[in-house]
Amino acid sequence: MTPEFHREVGIPRVAAIEYPYGRPVGEVNDSEGQRRVLLAALSFLEKAETPGQVCQLPFTWPEEPKHTKWHPPEISPIINLYLEEIKAFGARTRK
Amino acid sequence: MDENSAKVVDGFRFMPPSLGAWIGKDIPEEPFGGHIPWTPLQKPISKTTFALMTSAGISLKTDPPFDIEREKREPTWGDPTSRRIPATAGPADIDVNHLHINTDYIKQDINVILPLKRFREFEEEGLIGRLAATSYSYYGFQLDPKELLAQTMPGVISSMQAEGVEAVLLTPA
Repeated sequence: MTPEFHREVGIPRVAAIEYPYGRPVGEVNDSEGQRRVLLAALSFLEKAETPGQVCQLPFTWPEEPKHTKWHPPEISPIINLYLEEIKAFGARTRK
Repeated sequence: MDENSAKVVDGFRFMPPSLGAWIGKDIPEEPFGGHIPWTPLQKPISKTTFALMTSAGISLKTDPPFDIEREKREPTWGDPTSRRIPATAGPADIDVNHLHINTDYIKQDINVILPLKRFREFEEEGLIGRLAATSYSYYGFQLDPKELLAQTMPGVISSMQAEGVEAVLLTPA
């Protein structure tokens, strides 16, 4: 997930986790890992006392990003529409 | 999985750098300065009724799927509707249509993003008060969320209120 969007829209409570898109609770059939993530998020729900708090959940995904295969099988329509702009922006950013 | 108490989540870690920079360019550096809605938790979670809600484009096989065909024709449009997902739904009951993620993992184990089974376990164990009969999915690609907010969400809220929901776990796709 992308907790940075919190700075743009304001969210009452964010339990931020650095897991691949599409699997914010954990790996397929890893019930114990999913439980740990959810119990940490529920604990934060009980502790949060002010609007806009972000809890940085301490879990680390076991694969490197390039191995996570979170991408759709085909490039999404909006990315395809802006692909040249994205590439150009990325090239400018790297300079 | 390892745990590191000093971790600061990088929401762009899994994204190609060019795409992350392009999406991130409109996110301000400073904290949000506007009003943030706030409803205090009224009771311990062991007595609280929960619903789950995800933007993952999950629908029951018996319901219409989220409309990704129109999005393919109109790349700036995202389906603004929602679907009701019963608390007992499992992989055999659901379809997933989302053009921005790999949906295979959710089809194998819905709990990776809509953790119904985990919350049913929490209810049985007394860790939460109750999981409501209905949870919800919508479609997370919404460049213009006006219809989602004005037409779809009031019905979702009414349904939650009718089922006594007091807290909602939102899981983004």
